[in-house]
Amino acid sequence: MRILCYILALFVTAIAVAEERTVAIREITVIGHRPMKEMGMQQTKLDSVALKENVSLSMADVLTFNSSIFVKNYGRATLSTVAFRGTSPSHTQVSWNGMKINNPMLGMTDFSMIPSYFIDDASLLHGTSSVSETGGGLGGAVKLMTRPAENRGFGLQYIQGIGSFKTFDEFLRLTYGDDHWQVSTRAVYSSSPNDYKYRNHDKKENIYDEDMNIIGQYYPVERNRSGSFKDLHILQEVYYNTLKGDRFGLNAWYINSNRELAMLTVDHGDDTDFDNRQRENTFRGVLSWDHLRSNWKVAARAGYIYTWMAYDYKRDLGNGTMAHMTRSRSKINTIYGQLDGEYYIGKKWLFTANLSLHQHFVESRDKNIVLQQGGNGIVGYRKARPELSGSVSAKWRPIDRFGVSVVLREEMFGKEWTPIIPALFIDGVLSKRGNIVAKASVSRNFRFPTLNDLYFLPGGNPDLKKESGWTYDAGVSFAVGQDGLYSLSGSANWFESFVKDWIIWLPTTKGFFSPDNIKDVHAYGVELKGNMVVNFAKEWQLGLDGTFSWTPSINRGEKRTPADQSVGKQLPYVPEYSAAVTGRLSWRRWSFLYKWNYYSERFTMSSNDISLSGKLPKYFMSNISLEKILEFHWAELSLKGTINNLFNEEYVSVLSRPMPGINFEIFIGIRPKW
Amino acid sequence: MSSPRHIFRLVVAIILSIAAMQSCMKWEYGIVEEFRVTESGLFISNEGNFQYGNASLSFYNPATKVVENEVFNRANGMKLGDVAQSMIIRDGIGWIVVNNSHVVFAIDINTFKEVGRIVNLTSPRYIHFVSDQKAYISQLWDNRIFIVNPQRFEITGYIECPDMTMESGSTEQMVQYGDYVYVNCWSYQNRILKIDTRTDTVVDQLEVGIQPTSLALDCNGKLWTVTDGGYEGSVYGYEAPALCRIDAESFKVEQRFEFRLGDDPSEVQLNSRGDTLYWINDDIWAMDVAAESVPTKPIISSRGTIYYGLTVSPENGDVYVADAVDYTQQGMIYRYSAEGELLDEFYVGIIPGAFCWK
Repeated sequence: MRILCYILALFVTAIAVAEERTVAIREITVIGHRPMKEMGMQQTKLDSVALKENVSLSMADVLTFNSSIFVKNYGRATLSTVAFRGTSPSHTQVSWNGMKINNPMLGMTDFSMIPSYFIDDASLLHGTSSVSETGGGLGGAVKLMTRPAENRGFGLQYIQGIGSFKTFDEFLRLTYGDDHWQVSTRAVYSSSPNDYKYRNHDKKENIYDEDMNIIGQYYPVERNRSGSFKDLHILQEVYYNTLKGDRFGLNAWYINSNRELAMLTVDHGDDTDFDNRQRENTFRGVLSWDHLRSNWKVAARAGYIYTWMAYDYKRDLGNGTMAHMTRSRSKINTIYGQLDGEYYIGKKWLFTANLSLHQHFVESRDKNIVLQQGGNGIVGYRKARPELSGSVSAKWRPIDRFGVSVVLREEMFGKEWTPIIPALFIDGVLSKRGNIVAKASVSRNFRFPTLNDLYFLPGGNPDLKKESGWTYDAGVSFAVGQDGLYSLSGSANWFESFVKDWIIWLPTTKGFFSPDNIKDVHAYGVELKGNMVVNFAKEWQLGLDGTFSWTPSINRGEKRTPADQSVGKQLPYVPEYSAAVTGRLSWRRWSFLYKWNYYSERFTMSSNDISLSGKLPKYFMSNISLEKILEFHWAELSLKGTINNLFNEEYVSVLSRPMPGINFEIFIGIRPKW
Repeated sequence: MSSPRHIFRLVVAIILSIAAMQSCMKWEYGIVEEFRVTESGLFISNEGNFQYGNASLSFYNPATKVVENEVFNRANGMKLGDVAQSMIIRDGIGWIVVNNSHVVFAIDINTFKEVGRIVNLTSPRYIHFVSDQKAYISQLWDNRIFIVNPQRFEITGYIECPDMTMESGSTEQMVQYGDYVYVNCWSYQNRILKIDTRTDTVVDQLEVGIQPTSLALDCNGKLWTVTDGGYEGSVYGYEAPALCRIDAESFKVEQRFEFRLGDDPSEVQLNSRGDTLYWINDDIWAMDVAAESVPTKPIISSRGTIYYGLTVSPENGDVYVADAVDYTQQGMIYRYSAEGELLDEFYVGIIPGAFCWK
């Protein structure tokens, strides 16, 4: 509560000293146009308002509250994966400035390692729509982009965040811009012991008498043990615009992360005896060139990713020496190149072509063992794999109210090619009055096994088949409003997808895990989205975004053994229902934000048994924040206080991984005027 | 402006309704059931999924054919932990080794209530009692076997295992012959160690082949182990698995029965008389301990099942086999007569891996 009082005191002081000015609230416009490039696509766009609402959030947090996709969170500042429509995290393709950033060994992306402060533009391409950008997105794709700041002269922004559990977040952005150049340097440093308290209901502490008889037991209030983190991100951007139709860009992102892996709630070990830690150094760089003319465009990109990851599991031998139980290292080098072209013929035709190459070089060193003949040996693998993906598309809008688009894609991973991946999109205006647009699409898709799926030792299965699927989408959207007064938009989308040969890692009788093509899955459901902005009184504005998803994701495979009860059941850890609402209330330079999300209960077993640990209860999460912008002649100050988990709910996203209760953070930001 | 104001009121009402829904979140904590099971029966320890903490304990009464699942959780109001590896009973106390929870629980075998626990273990796998005051606990990822005082639930010392580092450390099942305890070393290992229980030191070791998975002592004083042969591409080596008979007295391999390369044998078990050996190799196999060759036909054929655990009733020789199904749902236990007739089947917890007779 002291922190809350501190926040309030800061606001009161700020109000007393500030020179307040009334400023225009965000302009309300009703958007009704349909870009040719997005014809028939189902996508969720996250604008800078959503992305920058709380600079300390990772993209995992942003997606949790602003989209219909499921974020599986293993704890605060730990692995967070996202999945569309009941698919797995590796079915979500993620790109940053065009370059694919899915880990080629694991297939998935850790969204807790992507600070929202670094992302200026994000789009979620649901289901079939991902084929327009990339292959392999059986669930969908997430496009993350940075943009020029469009500032003139020098600019600086510094934000300091101080929060519960000794959390310190620092954000710095330096910008320079003129007619031709836009230069930006961003840095984020976050650290915390992350030792939040929680009541551990999964275990009890014993009270013994002198003869070691248990005379009492209680559920302990524990701290999140071994969960500390220190994350540094630096992003350098340079853009040059010739103003004659050519734009050049350089984006370079460096990550240095040092995170402990928190102990499970059922761990009876002493956290001082163990050190369980993951470290990562990653560099991602993209060079881009866009050449724009009135009716055509070509673009080229080149990039490079270097990732070094270390996992160390040590224990104290009792004499202060920490001995390695596991010492795992992996290195990934990826070279990337891409060519894009667009050609318009009048206003009715658009042709696009795209070719991208990601060449991975991977080295995995998982274990250091003593060999039979003496000496040491490394358990691991070293592999290289090119991943080529190319597409062509034709988009045709014969009349203003109707459009159709065909995309043909083909991919090659290693030496194996996919068949042609077709996608068909149509859209049509049902009513101009309410901007009512109907969309439908169908696509085939494939996903190749990851390098760990194929080669990890032990367990890698080089005989795996690629996963394949068909996805169907249909939906309707509307947008109404009155400029400057209110806008209201919404969409409803039905989808259906069938995935064959789903790859799952399972234990083996040899004591290790191994992947196999196990399941055929039928996922279907409905996604609803709504958005409203209203100026309901002078200088007051209310904004509301909401999403709702119903996503049965059913195992339609054959019984694995005669006792198999999983056929016809919802996949584990996939909520059937989820929803999120964000409300923004603004008055002059004050803004209040209420964020809410809901996940229905998730089964933890493929058979959907209702045993004691067979399901995770549904949960509702509420976060609020209050922000005040103060204008001085020398600078703009921002003060912000946030409360997360407002109702101090006990909840978990994954079994045995406690999540924090109510917690607070304040932010003080400054933007000098020079 | 009236229309926007109406919208505003509506939205505020929606938000307040949403906030009011917070009270819907419900957990079921702290509910404890009273058990008093005096009959004999079979405990099944279900590993659960690694890193998910959903191990469980089941109890089956062969006479009534009734199974009770999650009895540890139900009796104690807390979870068993992460990866229940094994269980033994000594003097009315069941000792459950929970590998990735770094704990060994002691429970009353009639009430299933905890009576104590041994903590601060590295990665415990099996417990073996040398006496009332001394037990050994084998470990994975540790080159030491922990010595504990089970009466005080205390770690009292360590047995250093030769030619192992922490990273490659692996000791597994233990059997005792006279003053000596024998332990098979599995992960990236190829040996059986011989431990003098008077000095708590390793006095000898014997190479038997790549990754011996289990260990049993028959009525003739012979040790039986089965190797899994490693895996293709392993830097440690890959070979045909083998069933080995070792004379405990001389500590020498007497007989070695090789399987085909790629076979996956495991779980050597003996009947109560110690004269018939059982193991899993896709199917369930059995042979007389004096046999000079392995049988050509299994006693129980796989029916598309994934056999993961095996035990033989000490009372009547019934064979119990665990099917892990897809490893993420309740496993199935099949109960067969000694002649291979299916007598019963029942669901237990996730990945039933080990049995313990009460």
